[in-house]
Amino acid sequence: MIEWNGLAVNSRRQFLKHASMTVAAAALPGLLRAASGEPAHENATVVKGKDRMIVRSVRFLDLEMPPEYASSWITPVPHFFVRNHMFEPASVKAREWKVSVSGEVENRLTLTLADLNKFEQHSVVNTIECAGNGRAFQSPKVPGIQWQRGAVGTARFRGPRLADILQRAGVKSSGKHVMFRGLDEVPGNVPPFIRSIPIEKATDRGTLVATHMNNASLIPHHGFPARALVPGWIGSASCKWLTEIKVLDKEFDGNFMKPGYRFPNQPVAPGAAVAPEDTHPLTALNVKSMIVTPGEGQHVKARALEIHGVAWAGEADIVKVDVSTDGGTTWSPAALGNEQSRYAWRLWSHRWQPPTSGDYVIMSRASDSQGRVQPETAAWNPSGYLYNAIDKVKIHVEI
Amino acid sequence: MLRYKFSVLWIVIFAALPGFSAEPDSTALPAGAMQNKARTACTTCHEASIVVQQRLNKAAWTKEVDKMVKWGATLNASDRDALIEYLSSNFPPEKAPYVAPRSARSKH
Repeated sequence: MIEWNGLAVNSRRQFLKHASMTVAAAALPGLLRAASGEPAHENATVVKGKDRMIVRSVRFLDLEMPPEYASSWITPVPHFFVRNHMFEPASVKAREWKVSVSGEVENRLTLTLADLNKFEQHSVVNTIECAGNGRAFQSPKVPGIQWQRGAVGTARFRGPRLADILQRAGVKSSGKHVMFRGLDEVPGNVPPFIRSIPIEKATDRGTLVATHMNNASLIPHHGFPARALVPGWIGSASCKWLTEIKVLDKEFDGNFMKPGYRFPNQPVAPGAAVAPEDTHPLTALNVKSMIVTPGEGQHVKARALEIHGVAWAGEADIVKVDVSTDGGTTWSPAALGNEQSRYAWRLWSHRWQPPTSGDYVIMSRASDSQGRVQPETAAWNPSGYLYNAIDKVKIHVEI
Repeated sequence: MLRYKFSVLWIVIFAALPGFSAEPDSTALPAGAMQNKARTACTTCHEASIVVQQRLNKAAWTKEVDKMVKWGATLNASDRDALIEYLSSNFPPEKAPYVAPRSARSKH
Protein backbone atom coordinates (compact mmCIF):
# COMPACT_ATOMS: atom_id res chain seq x y z
CA MET A 1 0.00 0.00 0.00
CA ILE A 2 1.41 3.36 -1.02
CA GLU A 3 1.06 5.80 1.83
CA TRP A 4 -0.54 8.74 0.05
CA ASN A 5 -3.42 6.61 -1.17
CA GLY A 6 -4.13 5.72 2.39
CA LEU A 7 -4.45 9.20 3.83
CA ALA A 8 -7.64 9.65 5.71
CA VAL A 9 -8.00 13.40 5.68
CA ASN A 10 -11.02 14.48 7.61
CA SER A 11 -9.78 16.93 10.18
CA ARG A 12 -8.47 20.37 9.35
CA ARG A 13 -5.06 19.72 10.89
CA GLN A 14 -4.62 16.51 8.93
CA PHE A 15 -5.68 18.30 5.77
CA LEU A 16 -3.18 21.12 6.19
CA LYS A 17 -0.42 18.71 7.14
CA HIS A 18 -0.98 16.51 4.13
CA ALA A 19 -2.09 19.07 1.55
CA SER A 20 1.32 19.25 -0.12
CA MET A 21 1.64 15.47 -0.19
CA THR A 22 -1.81 15.14 -1.69
CA VAL A 23 -0.88 17.52 -4.49
CA ALA A 24 2.31 15.55 -5.15
CA ALA A 25 0.35 12.31 -5.26
CA ALA A 26 -2.17 13.75 -7.69
CA ALA A 27 0.67 14.62 -10.06
CA LEU A 28 2.02 11.07 -10.10
CA PRO A 29 1.03 8.94 -13.05
CA GLY A 30 -1.37 6.09 -12.42
CA LEU A 31 1.34 3.66 -13.49
CA LEU A 32 3.41 4.50 -10.44
CA ARG A 33 0.39 4.28 -8.20
CA ALA A 34 -0.28 0.85 -9.62
CA ALA A 35 3.28 -0.30 -9.09
CA SER A 36 2.58 -1.31 -5.50
CA GLY A 37 1.18 -4.48 -7.04
CA GLU A 38 -1.94 -4.35 -4.86
CA PRO A 39 -5.22 -5.34 -6.46
CA ALA A 40 -7.10 -2.26 -7.71
CA HIS A 41 -9.66 -2.09 -4.91
CA GLU A 42 -6.89 -2.02 -2.31
CA ASN A 43 -5.94 1.43 -3.62
CA ALA A 44 -9.07 2.59 -1.87
CA THR A 45 -9.05 5.32 0.75
CA VAL A 46 -8.27 4.05 4.24
CA VAL A 47 -10.62 5.39 6.90
CA LYS A 48 -9.50 4.46 10.37
CA GLY A 49 -11.95 2.11 12.06
CA LYS A 50 -14.15 1.76 8.98
CA ASP A 51 -14.46 -1.20 6.65
CA ARG A 52 -15.45 -1.15 2.94
CA MET A 53 -17.94 1.67 3.30
CA ILE A 54 -19.46 3.65 0.41
CA VAL A 55 -17.46 6.89 0.32
CA ARG A 56 -19.73 9.83 -0.36
CA SER A 57 -16.98 12.21 0.77
CA VAL A 58 -13.73 12.04 2.73
CA ARG A 59 -13.32 15.73 3.46
CA PHE A 60 -15.81 16.08 5.17
CA LEU A 61 -16.25 12.45 6.10
CA ASP A 62 -19.54 11.01 4.88
CA LEU A 63 -19.66 7.22 4.71
CA GLU A 64 -22.66 5.11 3.78
CA MET A 65 -23.23 1.55 4.93
CA PRO A 66 -23.55 -0.90 2.02
CA PRO A 67 -27.04 -2.43 2.53
CA GLU A 68 -25.67 -5.97 2.83
CA TYR A 69 -24.08 -4.95 6.17
CA ALA A 70 -27.55 -4.54 7.75
CA SER A 71 -27.70 -8.26 8.38
CA SER A 72 -27.46 -8.04 12.17
CA TRP A 73 -29.63 -6.29 14.73
CA ILE A 74 -26.62 -4.36 16.07
CA THR A 75 -24.48 -2.74 13.38
CA PRO A 76 -20.74 -3.15 14.08
CA VAL A 77 -18.98 0.22 14.44
CA PRO A 78 -16.74 -0.39 11.36
CA HIS A 79 -19.95 -0.63 9.30
CA PHE A 80 -21.85 2.24 10.94
CA PHE A 81 -22.53 5.20 8.64
CA VAL A 82 -20.79 8.53 9.30
CA ARG A 83 -22.33 11.92 8.59
CA ASN A 84 -20.09 14.92 9.25
CA HIS A 85 -21.11 18.43 8.26
CA MET A 86 -17.62 19.82 8.80
CA PHE A 87 -14.12 18.87 9.93
CA GLU A 88 -13.89 16.51 12.86
CA PRO A 89 -12.13 18.18 15.80
CA ALA A 90 -8.42 17.50 15.25
CA SER A 91 -7.66 16.29 18.72
CA VAL A 92 -9.92 15.88 21.68
CA LYS A 93 -8.14 14.67 24.77
CA ALA A 94 -10.33 12.72 27.15
CA ARG A 95 -8.61 14.24 30.21
CA GLU A 96 -9.02 17.85 29.07
CA TRP A 97 -12.49 17.56 27.56
CA LYS A 98 -15.41 19.22 29.39
CA VAL A 99 -19.04 19.90 28.65
CA SER A 100 -20.78 22.95 30.09
CA VAL A 101 -24.41 23.11 31.17
CA SER A 102 -25.76 26.65 31.21
CA GLY A 103 -28.65 28.91 30.24
CA GLU A 104 -32.00 28.68 32.04
CA VAL A 105 -30.61 26.67 34.98
CA GLU A 106 -30.16 27.30 38.72
CA ASN A 107 -26.56 26.03 38.77
CA ARG A 108 -24.14 26.13 35.86
CA LEU A 109 -22.15 22.90 35.57
CA THR A 110 -18.87 21.96 33.95
CA LEU A 111 -18.58 18.19 33.62
CA THR A 112 -15.54 16.12 32.77
CA LEU A 113 -15.65 12.63 31.29
CA ALA A 114 -15.00 11.27 34.79
CA ASP A 115 -18.01 13.27 36.04
CA LEU A 116 -20.23 11.77 33.32
CA ASN A 117 -19.10 8.29 34.29
CA LYS A 118 -20.23 8.90 37.90
CA PHE A 119 -23.86 9.46 36.86
CA GLU A 120 -26.12 6.40 36.74
CA GLN A 121 -25.40 4.71 33.41
CA HIS A 122 -28.13 3.74 30.95
CA SER A 123 -28.12 1.82 27.67
CA VAL A 124 -30.36 2.54 24.71
CA VAL A 125 -30.38 0.53 21.49
CA ASN A 126 -31.18 3.11 18.85
CA THR A 127 -31.54 3.12 15.09
CA ILE A 128 -29.96 6.35 13.87
CA GLU A 129 -30.83 7.48 10.39
CA CYS A 130 -29.58 10.59 8.64
CA ALA A 131 -32.53 12.80 7.66
CA GLY A 132 -31.09 12.81 4.12
CA ASN A 133 -30.94 9.02 3.72
CA GLY A 134 -32.45 8.19 0.30
CA ARG A 135 -32.00 11.73 -1.01
CA ALA A 136 -30.51 10.31 -4.23
CA PHE A 137 -33.92 8.80 -5.10
CA GLN A 138 -35.84 12.09 -4.93
CA SER A 139 -37.22 13.32 -8.23
CA PRO A 140 -36.55 16.05 -9.21
CA LYS A 141 -33.04 15.81 -7.76
CA VAL A 142 -32.14 17.96 -4.75
CA PRO A 143 -28.76 19.19 -3.48
CA GLY A 144 -26.93 17.51 -0.61
CA ILE A 145 -24.97 14.34 0.04
CA GLN A 146 -26.49 11.82 -2.37
CA TRP A 147 -27.23 9.08 0.15
CA GLN A 148 -28.94 6.00 -1.23
CA ARG A 149 -30.11 3.36 1.29
CA GLY A 150 -27.40 3.04 3.94
CA ALA A 151 -27.24 6.26 5.99
CA VAL A 152 -28.77 4.24 8.81
CA GLY A 153 -27.56 1.85 11.50
CA THR A 154 -28.39 0.48 14.92
CA ALA A 155 -26.10 0.56 17.95
CA ARG A 156 -26.24 0.19 21.71
CA PHE A 157 -25.38 3.57 23.23
CA ARG A 158 -24.50 4.09 26.88
CA GLY A 159 -24.05 7.06 29.16
CA PRO A 160 -25.92 9.19 31.68
CA ARG A 161 -29.45 10.39 31.03
CA LEU A 162 -29.56 14.01 29.94
CA ALA A 163 -32.50 14.32 32.37
CA ASP A 164 -30.21 13.46 35.33
CA ILE A 165 -27.64 16.06 34.24
CA LEU A 166 -30.35 18.69 33.80
CA GLN A 167 -31.83 17.79 37.18
CA ARG A 168 -28.45 18.45 38.83
CA ALA A 169 -28.30 21.83 37.09
CA GLY A 170 -31.91 22.60 38.01
CA VAL A 171 -33.90 23.73 34.99
CA LYS A 172 -35.82 26.97 35.56
CA SER A 173 -39.50 27.14 34.56
CA SER A 174 -38.39 29.37 31.68
CA GLY A 175 -36.37 26.48 30.16
CA LYS A 176 -38.25 25.16 27.12
CA HIS A 177 -35.55 23.87 24.75
CA VAL A 178 -32.10 22.34 25.13
CA MET A 179 -29.35 23.32 22.75
CA PHE A 180 -26.30 21.22 21.87
CA ARG A 181 -23.07 22.56 20.41
CA GLY A 182 -20.52 20.27 18.80
CA LEU A 183 -16.78 20.81 18.47
CA ASP A 184 -16.97 20.41 14.68
CA GLU A 185 -14.29 22.65 13.12
CA VAL A 186 -15.91 25.15 10.84
CA PRO A 187 -14.49 26.08 7.42
CA GLY A 188 -14.97 29.60 6.03
CA ASN A 189 -17.98 31.44 7.46
CA VAL A 190 -20.05 28.28 7.92
CA PRO A 191 -22.15 28.62 11.08
CA PRO A 192 -21.20 26.36 14.02
CA PHE A 193 -23.01 23.05 14.46
CA ILE A 194 -25.70 23.92 16.98
CA ARG A 195 -29.20 22.45 17.19
CA SER A 196 -31.87 22.26 19.89
CA ILE A 197 -34.57 19.84 21.03
CA PRO A 198 -37.68 20.58 23.12
CA ILE A 199 -37.36 20.14 26.91
CA GLU A 200 -39.86 17.23 26.84
CA LYS A 201 -37.56 15.20 24.60
CA ALA A 202 -34.44 16.35 26.45
CA THR A 203 -35.82 15.04 29.76
CA ASP A 204 -37.22 11.81 28.28
CA ARG A 205 -35.67 8.75 29.92
CA GLY A 206 -34.29 7.59 26.54
CA THR A 207 -32.22 10.72 25.84
CA LEU A 208 -28.57 10.28 26.82
CA VAL A 209 -25.22 11.97 26.80
CA ALA A 210 -23.59 8.89 25.31
CA THR A 211 -19.96 8.02 25.86
CA HIS A 212 -20.12 4.44 24.59
CA MET A 213 -21.28 2.70 21.43
CA ASN A 214 -21.54 -1.10 21.27
CA ASN A 215 -19.79 -1.44 24.66
CA ALA A 216 -16.67 0.53 23.66
CA SER A 217 -15.77 4.21 23.94
CA LEU A 218 -17.06 6.27 21.04
CA ILE A 219 -14.52 6.47 18.23
CA PRO A 220 -13.66 9.97 16.92
CA HIS A 221 -15.90 9.61 13.83
CA HIS A 222 -18.90 9.04 16.11
CA GLY A 223 -18.26 11.93 18.48
CA PHE A 224 -15.61 10.96 21.04
CA PRO A 225 -15.69 11.51 23.94
CA ALA A 226 -19.42 12.26 24.26
CA ARG A 227 -22.41 12.94 22.06
CA ALA A 228 -26.07 13.60 22.52
CA LEU A 229 -28.24 10.57 21.83
CA VAL A 230 -31.78 11.59 20.95
CA PRO A 231 -33.39 8.24 20.18
CA GLY A 232 -35.91 7.86 17.37
CA TRP A 233 -35.06 11.28 15.95
CA ILE A 234 -33.12 12.28 12.85
CA GLY A 235 -29.38 11.74 13.22
CA SER A 236 -28.48 15.42 13.39
CA ALA A 237 -30.38 15.75 16.69
CA SER A 238 -27.67 13.55 18.26
CA CYS A 239 -24.91 16.17 18.23
CA LYS A 240 -21.39 14.71 18.21
CA TRP A 241 -18.26 15.99 20.05
CA LEU A 242 -20.57 17.65 22.55
CA THR A 243 -19.05 20.70 24.25
CA GLU A 244 -22.03 22.76 25.37
CA ILE A 245 -25.53 22.02 26.67
CA LYS A 246 -27.60 25.15 27.09
CA VAL A 247 -31.18 25.43 28.27
CA LEU A 248 -33.06 28.05 26.26
CA ASP A 249 -36.42 29.76 26.64
CA LYS A 250 -37.13 29.22 22.93
CA GLU A 251 -36.10 27.02 20.05
CA PHE A 252 -32.63 27.70 18.68
CA ASP A 253 -32.88 29.32 15.23
CA GLY A 254 -29.36 29.06 13.77
CA ASN A 255 -28.55 27.56 10.37
CA PHE A 256 -28.88 23.89 11.32
CA MET A 257 -32.41 24.53 12.68
CA LYS A 258 -33.46 27.17 10.16
CA PRO A 259 -33.33 26.87 7.18
CA GLY A 260 -31.60 23.49 7.73
CA TYR A 261 -33.41 20.28 8.71
CA ARG A 262 -36.95 21.54 8.13
CA PHE A 263 -39.88 19.87 6.40
CA PRO A 264 -42.87 21.42 4.58
CA ASN A 265 -46.04 21.73 6.70
CA GLN A 266 -48.18 20.62 3.75
CA PRO A 267 -47.44 18.23 0.87
CA VAL A 268 -45.74 20.08 -1.97
CA ALA A 269 -45.66 19.41 -5.70
CA PRO A 270 -42.30 17.85 -6.72
CA GLY A 271 -39.90 20.66 -7.61
CA ALA A 272 -42.01 23.43 -6.05
CA ALA A 273 -40.45 26.13 -3.87
CA VAL A 274 -41.51 26.17 -0.20
CA ALA A 275 -41.70 29.37 1.86
CA PRO A 276 -39.59 29.15 5.05
CA GLU A 277 -42.64 30.01 7.22
CA ASP A 278 -44.44 26.95 5.81
CA THR A 279 -41.89 24.55 7.32
CA HIS A 280 -41.17 22.99 10.72
CA PRO A 281 -38.05 21.42 12.26
CA LEU A 282 -37.62 17.70 11.67
CA THR A 283 -37.96 15.54 14.79
CA ALA A 284 -38.74 11.81 14.78
CA LEU A 285 -38.03 9.46 11.89
CA ASN A 286 -40.86 8.02 9.85
CA VAL A 287 -41.79 4.42 8.98
CA LYS A 288 -39.38 2.65 6.65
CA SER A 289 -38.01 -0.75 5.64
CA MET A 290 -35.02 -1.92 3.65
CA ILE A 291 -34.37 -5.18 1.81
CA VAL A 292 -30.92 -6.48 2.79
CA THR A 293 -30.78 -9.77 0.85
CA PRO A 294 -31.02 -10.49 -1.99
CA GLY A 295 -29.12 -7.42 -3.14
CA GLU A 296 -29.96 -5.16 -6.05
CA GLY A 297 -29.16 -6.80 -9.38
CA GLN A 298 -28.27 -10.13 -7.78
CA HIS A 299 -28.52 -13.37 -9.75
CA VAL A 300 -29.79 -16.15 -7.51
CA LYS A 301 -29.81 -19.84 -8.30
CA ALA A 302 -32.27 -21.45 -5.88
CA ARG A 303 -35.66 -23.14 -5.71
CA ALA A 304 -36.44 -21.22 -2.54
CA LEU A 305 -34.83 -18.16 -1.06
CA GLU A 306 -34.95 -16.25 2.16
CA ILE A 307 -35.61 -12.51 1.78
CA HIS A 308 -34.15 -10.56 4.72
CA GLY A 309 -34.42 -6.97 5.77
CA VAL A 310 -34.79 -4.36 8.50
CA ALA A 311 -37.65 -1.99 9.39
CA TRP A 312 -37.80 1.00 11.73
CA ALA A 313 -40.22 3.76 12.69
CA GLY A 314 -38.46 6.33 14.91
CA GLU A 315 -40.46 6.66 18.13
CA ALA A 316 -43.17 4.23 16.95
CA ASP A 317 -43.10 0.42 16.82
CA ILE A 318 -43.02 -1.66 13.67
CA VAL A 319 -46.19 -3.78 13.65
CA LYS A 320 -45.94 -5.38 10.21
CA VAL A 321 -43.69 -5.75 7.19
CA ASP A 322 -45.25 -6.98 3.95
CA VAL A 323 -43.24 -8.39 1.08
CA SER A 324 -44.20 -8.53 -2.58
CA THR A 325 -42.37 -10.67 -5.12
CA ASP A 326 -44.54 -9.68 -8.09
CA GLY A 327 -43.81 -5.97 -8.29
CA GLY A 328 -46.51 -4.93 -5.78
CA THR A 329 -49.59 -6.84 -7.00
CA THR A 330 -49.79 -9.21 -4.05
CA TRP A 331 -48.27 -8.90 -0.55
CA SER A 332 -47.41 -11.43 2.17
CA PRO A 333 -46.48 -10.67 5.78
CA ALA A 334 -42.83 -11.22 6.71
CA ALA A 335 -41.79 -12.82 10.00
CA LEU A 336 -40.43 -10.20 12.44
CA GLY A 337 -37.23 -10.96 14.34
CA ASN A 338 -37.26 -11.52 18.10
CA GLU A 339 -34.76 -8.79 18.98
CA GLN A 340 -36.50 -5.57 19.78
CA SER A 341 -36.06 -2.37 21.73
CA ARG A 342 -38.20 0.74 21.70
CA TYR A 343 -36.05 2.78 19.32
CA ALA A 344 -34.38 -0.01 17.37
CA TRP A 345 -35.14 -1.53 14.01
CA ARG A 346 -36.65 -5.01 13.66
CA LEU A 347 -35.08 -7.64 11.49
CA TRP A 348 -37.56 -9.44 9.23
CA SER A 349 -37.48 -12.39 6.86
CA HIS A 350 -39.71 -14.02 4.29
CA ARG A 351 -39.24 -17.39 2.63
CA TRP A 352 -40.19 -17.42 -1.03
CA GLN A 353 -40.39 -20.09 -3.72
CA PRO A 354 -40.11 -18.45 -7.15
CA PRO A 355 -42.65 -20.07 -9.52
CA THR A 356 -40.33 -19.95 -12.53
CA SER A 357 -36.92 -18.68 -13.54
CA GLY A 358 -36.91 -15.03 -14.53
CA ASP A 359 -36.58 -11.40 -13.46
CA TYR A 360 -38.39 -10.28 -10.30
CA VAL A 361 -38.95 -7.07 -8.38
CA ILE A 362 -38.92 -7.72 -4.62
CA MET A 363 -40.61 -5.04 -2.50
CA SER A 364 -40.97 -4.40 1.24
CA ARG A 365 -43.53 -2.19 2.99
CA ALA A 366 -43.50 -1.48 6.74
CA SER A 367 -46.45 -0.41 8.93
CA ASP A 368 -46.12 1.08 12.42
CA SER A 369 -48.04 1.50 15.68
CA GLN A 370 -49.08 5.05 14.71
CA GLY A 371 -50.93 3.68 11.67
CA ARG A 372 -48.31 4.92 9.24
CA VAL A 373 -47.53 2.78 6.17
CA GLN A 374 -44.59 3.18 3.80
CA PRO A 375 -45.89 4.98 0.71
CA GLU A 376 -45.30 4.03 -2.91
CA THR A 377 -43.79 7.47 -3.50
CA ALA A 378 -42.04 9.46 -0.77
CA ALA A 379 -43.16 13.03 -0.04
CA TRP A 380 -40.89 15.24 -2.14
CA ASN A 381 -39.34 18.21 -0.34
CA PRO A 382 -36.64 20.72 -1.35
CA SER A 383 -33.87 19.14 0.76
CA GLY A 384 -34.85 15.52 0.18
CA TYR A 385 -35.43 14.60 3.83
CA LEU A 386 -37.15 11.51 5.25
CA TYR A 387 -37.28 9.53 2.00
CA ASN A 388 -39.27 6.40 2.83
CA ALA A 389 -40.82 4.97 -0.33
CA ILE A 390 -41.49 1.20 -0.42
CA ASP A 391 -38.10 -0.47 -0.91
CA LYS A 392 -37.40 -2.41 -4.12
CA VAL A 393 -34.68 -4.66 -5.47
CA LYS A 394 -34.55 -6.18 -8.93
CA ILE A 395 -33.15 -9.69 -9.08
CA HIS A 396 -32.83 -12.57 -11.50
CA VAL A 397 -33.72 -16.07 -10.32
CA GLU A 398 -32.87 -19.41 -11.83
CA ILE A 399 -34.64 -22.34 -10.27
CA MET B 1 11.28 -15.88 -22.50
CA LEU B 2 10.38 -15.90 -18.84
CA ARG B 3 11.24 -12.17 -18.59
CA TYR B 4 9.08 -11.42 -21.67
CA LYS B 5 6.13 -13.24 -20.10
CA PHE B 6 6.53 -11.23 -16.93
CA SER B 7 6.49 -7.88 -18.74
CA VAL B 8 3.35 -8.88 -20.65
CA LEU B 9 1.80 -9.85 -17.35
CA TRP B 10 2.67 -6.44 -15.86
CA ILE B 11 1.14 -4.61 -18.80
CA VAL B 12 -2.06 -6.63 -18.38
CA ILE B 13 -2.11 -5.89 -14.64
CA PHE B 14 -1.48 -2.15 -15.11
CA ALA B 15 -4.10 -1.83 -17.84
CA ALA B 16 -6.69 -3.37 -15.54
CA LEU B 17 -6.04 -0.85 -12.78
CA PRO B 18 -8.09 2.34 -12.60
CA GLY B 19 -5.06 4.59 -12.26
CA PHE B 20 -3.79 3.47 -15.70
CA SER B 21 -7.03 4.06 -17.52
CA ALA B 22 -7.41 6.96 -19.97
CA GLU B 23 -10.86 7.65 -18.51
CA PRO B 24 -11.08 10.97 -16.64
CA ASP B 25 -11.29 10.65 -12.86
CA SER B 26 -15.00 10.82 -12.06
CA THR B 27 -14.30 12.02 -8.51
CA ALA B 28 -12.45 15.15 -9.74
CA LEU B 29 -13.64 18.46 -11.16
CA PRO B 30 -13.75 18.16 -14.97
CA ALA B 31 -11.51 20.09 -17.36
CA GLY B 32 -12.79 23.43 -18.56
CA ALA B 33 -12.10 27.12 -18.44
CA MET B 34 -13.51 27.29 -14.89
CA GLN B 35 -11.77 24.19 -13.51
CA ASN B 36 -9.15 26.11 -11.54
CA LYS B 37 -11.59 28.70 -10.27
CA ALA B 38 -13.96 25.91 -9.19
CA ARG B 39 -11.06 24.29 -7.33
CA THR B 40 -10.36 27.50 -5.46
CA ALA B 41 -14.01 28.21 -4.73
CA CYS B 42 -15.10 24.69 -3.75
CA THR B 43 -12.23 22.43 -2.77
CA THR B 44 -10.52 24.81 -0.35
CA CYS B 45 -13.15 23.72 2.17
CA HIS B 46 -14.37 20.34 0.90
CA GLU B 47 -13.39 17.77 -1.66
CA ALA B 48 -14.57 17.62 -5.26
CA SER B 49 -16.73 14.52 -4.79
CA ILE B 50 -19.28 16.61 -2.88
CA VAL B 51 -19.67 18.69 -6.06
CA VAL B 52 -19.51 15.95 -8.68
CA GLN B 53 -22.16 13.74 -7.01
CA GLN B 54 -24.81 16.48 -7.47
CA ARG B 55 -27.27 16.44 -10.40
CA LEU B 56 -28.94 19.85 -10.45
CA ASN B 57 -30.53 22.28 -12.84
CA LYS B 58 -29.19 25.80 -13.30
CA ALA B 59 -31.58 27.38 -10.78
CA ALA B 60 -30.47 24.92 -8.09
CA TRP B 61 -26.77 25.37 -8.92
CA THR B 62 -27.25 29.13 -8.66
CA LYS B 63 -28.64 28.75 -5.14
CA GLU B 64 -25.76 26.47 -4.13
CA VAL B 65 -23.07 28.80 -5.48
CA ASP B 66 -24.62 31.84 -3.78
CA LYS B 67 -24.94 29.93 -0.48
CA MET B 68 -21.31 28.82 -0.61
CA VAL B 69 -20.09 32.36 -1.38
CA LYS B 70 -22.01 33.52 1.71
CA TRP B 71 -20.22 30.77 3.66
CA GLY B 72 -16.82 31.97 2.55
CA ALA B 73 -16.06 30.41 -0.86
CA THR B 74 -13.41 32.47 -2.67
CA LEU B 75 -14.96 33.59 -5.95
CA ASN B 76 -14.74 36.89 -7.82
CA ALA B 77 -18.20 38.31 -8.47
CA SER B 78 -17.24 38.49 -12.17
CA ASP B 79 -16.74 34.69 -12.21
CA ARG B 80 -20.06 33.78 -10.58
CA ASP B 81 -22.09 33.27 -13.76
CA ALA B 82 -19.32 31.29 -15.46
CA LEU B 83 -18.98 29.00 -12.44
CA ILE B 84 -22.74 28.37 -12.38
CA GLU B 85 -22.60 27.59 -16.10
CA TYR B 86 -19.62 25.22 -15.61
CA LEU B 87 -21.41 23.34 -12.80
CA SER B 88 -24.81 23.19 -14.47
CA SER B 89 -23.43 22.03 -17.81
CA ASN B 90 -21.17 19.37 -16.25
CA PHE B 91 -23.61 18.13 -13.57
CA PRO B 92 -27.18 18.45 -14.92
CA PRO B 93 -30.08 16.31 -13.61
CA GLU B 94 -30.04 14.06 -16.71
CA LYS B 95 -26.38 13.03 -16.30
CA ALA B 96 -25.90 9.38 -15.23
CA PRO B 97 -25.63 9.01 -11.44
CA TYR B 98 -22.25 9.35 -9.75
CA VAL B 99 -20.84 5.99 -8.63
CA ALA B 100 -19.22 6.31 -5.22
CA PRO B 101 -16.04 4.32 -4.43
CA ARG B 102 -15.71 1.99 -1.44
CA SER B 103 -13.21 2.60 1.36
CA ALA B 104 -10.44 0.11 2.08
CA ARG B 105 -11.01 -3.08 3.98
CA SER B 106 -10.02 -2.96 7.64
CA LYS B 107 -9.72 -5.67 10.23
CA HIS B 108 -12.21 -5.59 13.04
